[in-house]
Amino acid sequence: MVVLEDVEKTYHTHGGIVKALRDVNLHIEKGRFTVLCGPSGSGKTTLLMTIAAMLRPTKGRVCVNQNDLYKMSIADRARFRAGNIGFIFQMFHLIPYLNVIENVNLAGGVAGRSRNTAQARDLLRQLGLEGRVFHKPAQLSAGEKQRVAIARAMFNRPKIILADEPTGNLDPENAASVIEYLSEFHRSGGTVILATHQLQAEKLANQVIYLRDGGIERHD
Amino acid sequence: MITLGLILKEIRHRKVNFLLSLLAVVTAVALLISFFAASKASERETARLMLSMGFNVHIVSKDININDFLLTGLADRTMPEEYIEKLASQQAISYNHLLASLQKKISWRGLEVILTGLASEVCSPDSKKSPISYQIEPGNLYVGYRVAQTLGLKDGDTVEIEGKTLKVAKCLAESGSADDIRIQCNLRDAQDILKLPGQISEIRAVDCLCFAPTDNPADVLRKEIGSLLPQAHVFHTQTIASARAKTRQMVGNLFAVILPLVVIACGVSVGVLAITNVRDRQQEIGIMRALGYGSGQITSLFLGKAVVIGLLGTAVGFLVGTALAMKFGPDIFKITAKAMIKPELSLLMISLVVAPLFVAVASFIPAMIAVTYDPAVTLREE
Repeated sequence: MVVLEDVEKTYHTHGGIVKALRDVNLHIEKGRFTVLCGPSGSGKTTLLMTIAAMLRPTKGRVCVNQNDLYKMSIADRARFRAGNIGFIFQMFHLIPYLNVIENVNLAGGVAGRSRNTAQARDLLRQLGLEGRVFHKPAQLSAGEKQRVAIARAMFNRPKIILADEPTGNLDPENAASVIEYLSEFHRSGGTVILATHQLQAEKLANQVIYLRDGGIERHD
Repeated sequence: MITLGLILKEIRHRKVNFLLSLLAVVTAVALLISFFAASKASERETARLMLSMGFNVHIVSKDININDFLLTGLADRTMPEEYIEKLASQQAISYNHLLASLQKKISWRGLEVILTGLASEVCSPDSKKSPISYQIEPGNLYVGYRVAQTLGLKDGDTVEIEGKTLKVAKCLAESGSADDIRIQCNLRDAQDILKLPGQISEIRAVDCLCFAPTDNPADVLRKEIGSLLPQAHVFHTQTIASARAKTRQMVGNLFAVILPLVVIACGVSVGVLAITNVRDRQQEIGIMRALGYGSGQITSLFLGKAVVIGLLGTAVGFLVGTALAMKFGPDIFKITAKAMIKPELSLLMISLVVAPLFVAVASFIPAMIAVTYDPAVTLREE
């Protein structure tokens, strides 16, 4: 379960104080497919980063599976993230000098986990990338890159997948397949929190949260 | 994936950054190695040239007539030969190259000559040095220029001095000094000729060239030697000593100016390149953070790369530096013997430890910058 209580995130910029999140209270049950909607700058990414234990809120509490994330040490948070959360980005963020399987295995390079090439290959096969295992990111299409990113996010068998506009750079066909992979993860019992504009995804969601100016506008 | 694998793959991917960093290290190491190698050779050469100026420490019997000794350079009293063993057995002393001699003015074949008997040069146990004086085999005689000219002697002649037969092993070239009227033989032969068994008239030595500018070398030497040989008197030739000190000081000053500049330039270059590398890899660092990589793992990627650059840079720099020293060293340092410059393996060993450490230190701040990158910020930047 993901719980946010009175979460605020404030940035101090040259132009003044920016409130990226304001009084966010949120309960997301385990195994739910949640979609975050809202215009650019509404706080979707900030909210995902906060849930992902990567961005300490200025105020409030963030708990994931009964773990108060920002009471943990940085090292413990990193370990928690590695074991529980998979993150998918709009820009894929693959390491350019590693090939496909090495990028996927990178998730296994975190302390205490060993490299598992067979598991990585299996994931890549499920995502239709068995012929691209030794290709570098520069040799892949946008859709393929995102599928590699999905494989990487799933490599450590996370309980939650956070996806930040994962279809933003994809054509409709690839976007649909990415949503389908997320949906499959959800069907297998995983929790998905997806920031997107895709109406198709909203249809699959158990819960849709509309954000505006850093606050929750409404819940569906 | 192991850190080294990631480091090597990143190096292959960002070749230019790596090559520039490597170039900085190679340049610094090559300059340092070439400078050290050539100047070590230069030091040896300087030492050789300086030593050829002569011994600058003279130890004679306390009973001599000092005025006569200063006037003629000959001690009119002898002292026991064991004195030299006493001096040579000491450790951590300020003199070396001990040479015992027995000298006396004699009349030979109607000529006034100086007969000099030379023992083998000895050094203290902790300061083994190659001899700087020639060794004369028993039965051999080295004849000064004027003596040889006047008496018509040549190499291979057999001569007799006070009933002792000696072979002329060498007729020396003109020196323009008292050496031209000197005949030199082994100490034992001289003791036989002068009927002074077990006696020497002088011990010559070279100071250690290690005095601080505030030291008075004569006082230091007198204190050290006086406590061992209370019956001896010590003279220290100031001009030779000061020439040596100045030469060493000049080389030292040159090092003191150039080396820090080279090291600073290398450090700055490596640091700047490391910062560039960190900036290029912001998103990569961000994704690793997002995947759960800790600060130690991120730091090890950058410091590990620094060590790789340091090790490789040292290896290449050593080869380049040695080659430079061998090619240009003799011109820069006016080293007469090219053969005196050789690969200094001790420098390679030191560099293999120091250079990677230095590069790691130069990369430390960039690595710390990398660790502090906020993944939430870097992963948003598109």
